[in-house]
Amino acid sequence: MPELQTPAADTQGWMPLTQQRVFRQLMNAFAYPGRIEPLCPGADAQGALTRILATLLDGEVSLADLDAQVSPLGWARLEVRRDVPERSNFVLARGDRAPDFQPRLGTLESPEGGATVLVRVGALGRGGELRLSGPGIRGERRMAVTGLDPAWIEARSQWNGAFPMGVDLILVDDRQLAALPRTTRIHTEGAR
Amino acid sequence: MNPGYELPLDEAAYSFGFLDEYAKREVRRAILKAVSIPGYQTPYASREMPMGRGFGTGGLQLTLSLIGPGDTLKVIDQGSDDSVNAVNLRHFVELTCPGVDTAERTAEATLIQSRHRIPEAPLTEEQLLVLQVPYPDPLVVVEPSEGKRKIMHGEGDYSRLLTKLYEDIVQFDEITISHRYPTRINGHYVIDPSPIPRYDVPRLHQSRALILFGAGREKRIYAVPPYTVAEPLAFEDVPFRTEDFREEHGNRRACARCGAKDSFLDEIILDGGEKTYQCSDSDYCNQQLAMRSAAVEASA
Repeated sequence: MPELQTPAADTQGWMPLTQQRVFRQLMNAFAYPGRIEPLCPGADAQGALTRILATLLDGEVSLADLDAQVSPLGWARLEVRRDVPERSNFVLARGDRAPDFQPRLGTLESPEGGATVLVRVGALGRGGELRLSGPGIRGERRMAVTGLDPAWIEARSQWNGAFPMGVDLILVDDRQLAALPRTTRIHTEGAR
Repeated sequence: MNPGYELPLDEAAYSFGFLDEYAKREVRRAILKAVSIPGYQTPYASREMPMGRGFGTGGLQLTLSLIGPGDTLKVIDQGSDDSVNAVNLRHFVELTCPGVDTAERTAEATLIQSRHRIPEAPLTEEQLLVLQVPYPDPLVVVEPSEGKRKIMHGEGDYSRLLTKLYEDIVQFDEITISHRYPTRINGHYVIDPSPIPRYDVPRLHQSRALILFGAGREKRIYAVPPYTVAEPLAFEDVPFRTEDFREEHGNRRACARCGAKDSFLDEIILDGGEKTYQCSDSDYCNQQLAMRSAAVEASA
């Protein structure tokens, strides 16, 4: 996890105007699920993740970092509360490991309490294709992804079984992101 | 905004977009949840703005959390770029967001904040529409308790709202809602689409652009994502219908200024008591007028 510690590291992610651009990309990703958004130029492998975290997190919310992807300095800068995945607003996990946690799903009255899960995948735009449909998608969209264990798809469909409750996924690779809000239906085709 | 009031920009060192970064981050998190749960009224901590609640503070907080250098903003009020509310909001953004362009042409805008209308020109995927909302909850007319309304929304239980519409039909032979027509999004939540006329409601359906709704006083943000089903509540035998712009002989009225027969018209009463009709969307009216004069020139 050298990304946030080296002085030469990309500090753009902490700048308000970068966060504005990253947010617009995140919002477009959620509005058009499965569309792959390239993060602003300059983001290196960890920079991409840092930008997304810095855009979304502050002291008002909690984060569960399941695979220790955030460095100690990153925790200090984010000011985010550390919590267990069962209680966290945001969960950060690796996509190549099957999920073994139960995220918050929200309640019938307040479904926005459902967690946002950030999944670090191998690469977006390559590998096995997921066929997606739902709000934000005209007809059907195909999204290729590597480094996403099929168990994630299974777990997601369980978590999102009772709309409006559910979780929203952000997939991030080294320099791109895509989102799968709870309304998106996935028809799998051998994703690896 | 008070004309004598000036933002002390230099001394106070306001952030880009007036709101501090924590406020923006909170609005942004609410937007992502609102898009993920189409039509759900996501609560957020609406900040004090230097203008009264009810003057578009909800829409403005959305705009300020979204906008960045490179964006082109259009602000309209009842279709017009030049009415007081639109001019003031646009001026405020110009003051607090250096590097942002403003425009009146719908096609040039990347971000459109609007009160009471959806522009006539079809929006694209590159555009974003923010609507100002006075009353976000369509169930408030049938259920006073917010706790109960939230359960009804969660269960998708709108029977009482349908009863209200049915009572209208019994009394008046038609549904008498002229604006803020309750609309069901993605088959679940029913929203108040803000005080847009019925004419604009079908534009929510399968829109190419993301549409965001901000209620500042009521502290709610909700969304109609692109390519999403939006159905106005109606009955099989009493279908939803939009405003009727036909005159007594059954011909569609035209705009008195540009001659367009395909736009939403405002009724204007002249000094003599006569009625005349004009496009409500001032940019659309100007475009039609320009096209017409270009056509006249070409044929001359």
